[in-house]
Amino acid sequence: MANDREVLREIWEGKIPVCFQLDSEEVYELQAPDPFYLMVPRLSYFPLCTDKVRKHFLRHVQQDIQDKHEIEMWLEFNGTPLKWHLPIGVLMDLYHNDIQLPWNIVVHFNKFPEDVLIRCHNKEVVEAHFLSCIKEADVLKHRGQVVSSMQKKDHNQLWLGLLNDKFDQFWAVNRKLMEGTCDEAFKYIPFRCYTNEDKYIQRLIKPVNEEGQRKVLRHLLNEVFPDMDQVVVRTHGIVLPLDTPLQWLSEHLSFPDNFLHLVLVSS
Amino acid sequence: MAEKEVDERSLVRTATTTTSDEVPQNLETLSSDTNPSHIEAPLPPVKEKKIEVLLKATGDAPIMMKKKWVVSPDNTIGWISEFIKKCIKLGAEERLFLYINQTFAPAPDQTVKNLYDCYGTDGKLIIHYCKTQAWG
Repeated sequence: MANDREVLREIWEGKIPVCFQLDSEEVYELQAPDPFYLMVPRLSYFPLCTDKVRKHFLRHVQQDIQDKHEIEMWLEFNGTPLKWHLPIGVLMDLYHNDIQLPWNIVVHFNKFPEDVLIRCHNKEVVEAHFLSCIKEADVLKHRGQVVSSMQKKDHNQLWLGLLNDKFDQFWAVNRKLMEGTCDEAFKYIPFRCYTNEDKYIQRLIKPVNEEGQRKVLRHLLNEVFPDMDQVVVRTHGIVLPLDTPLQWLSEHLSFPDNFLHLVLVSS
Repeated sequence: MAEKEVDERSLVRTATTTTSDEVPQNLETLSSDTNPSHIEAPLPPVKEKKIEVLLKATGDAPIMMKKKWVVSPDNTIGWISEFIKKCIKLGAEERLFLYINQTFAPAPDQTVKNLYDCYGTDGKLIIHYCKTQAWG
């Protein structure tokens, strides 16, 4: 069970200052609209916290684009489209070396990059993706038994907790997903290890060894990257100590989708 | 501990003699599995060790004549989805949902390699597809 509530709180409250600007090619008027500044939660997804950004810039683009229903806004950083289906904090960790705060992000309404981004017409698409990640994580942790024993309203509560930034609402349900089995450990640790912005590795890694001793982050990295020594990873903006126990890490530093998102730090 | 993971993986990979397949959805699925055409890889050649995937229709989704395919480990779920759409002649507007373990829908950028390593059974990865959300 996740006991270190202060850690959970601290992680939940992580925010990033972002400066959104409309792509200069999409500016229709003589003057470019003002940039839009916003503090975005690391644990959230861009489509969940950019309604105001969309509203602010949509007035300034060509009329025929404004008239299209469900016109999709997409974001770009340094020439790369930002994947909305990754939590914002993961994107931040992926582009860590290139980002200066506030994080400058370019807003687009035109030329949606079909080959790079998944379509996201509304927040239900994000909800389906988010809940699917939680289900997959529970398959790894508890053979899917906890999530399948939950009711629709519990799933709803997880989603609304994230959507409305309600820590207590989210954790009232999420704590059940973070309980270990009888020996107090998960079957496998749900994690994704990003080697670059387009590629991540996912493997079956247990939190304890055959003798029942708890494993630490170093063990996980050795198993995932057997040919590399000195692997270092970052998550939530923190370079993790290699002797952090895996079970604790999974319970406390997982994103709301119940996965650990570890970004390889290039040395 | 590292050895144990390796043991489990090799067990999975060598268990080719087992006859236990997942419970077929229907008779058509079963009969066409005996089709020997799956021995040949129809997809572009890639250097890495390829992965066998078994594509199973669920609900009202049309069944594929050939269900076993050998694909590159770097292929993504999005790629598999487009491939199935082409095979069952789905319109561009129609949606297709893919599921692993009959439980969750993997993200389109997830790779076959990651899914096989975590959820592969009997040397292959089973993917269910349907036209409406099944295990959503």
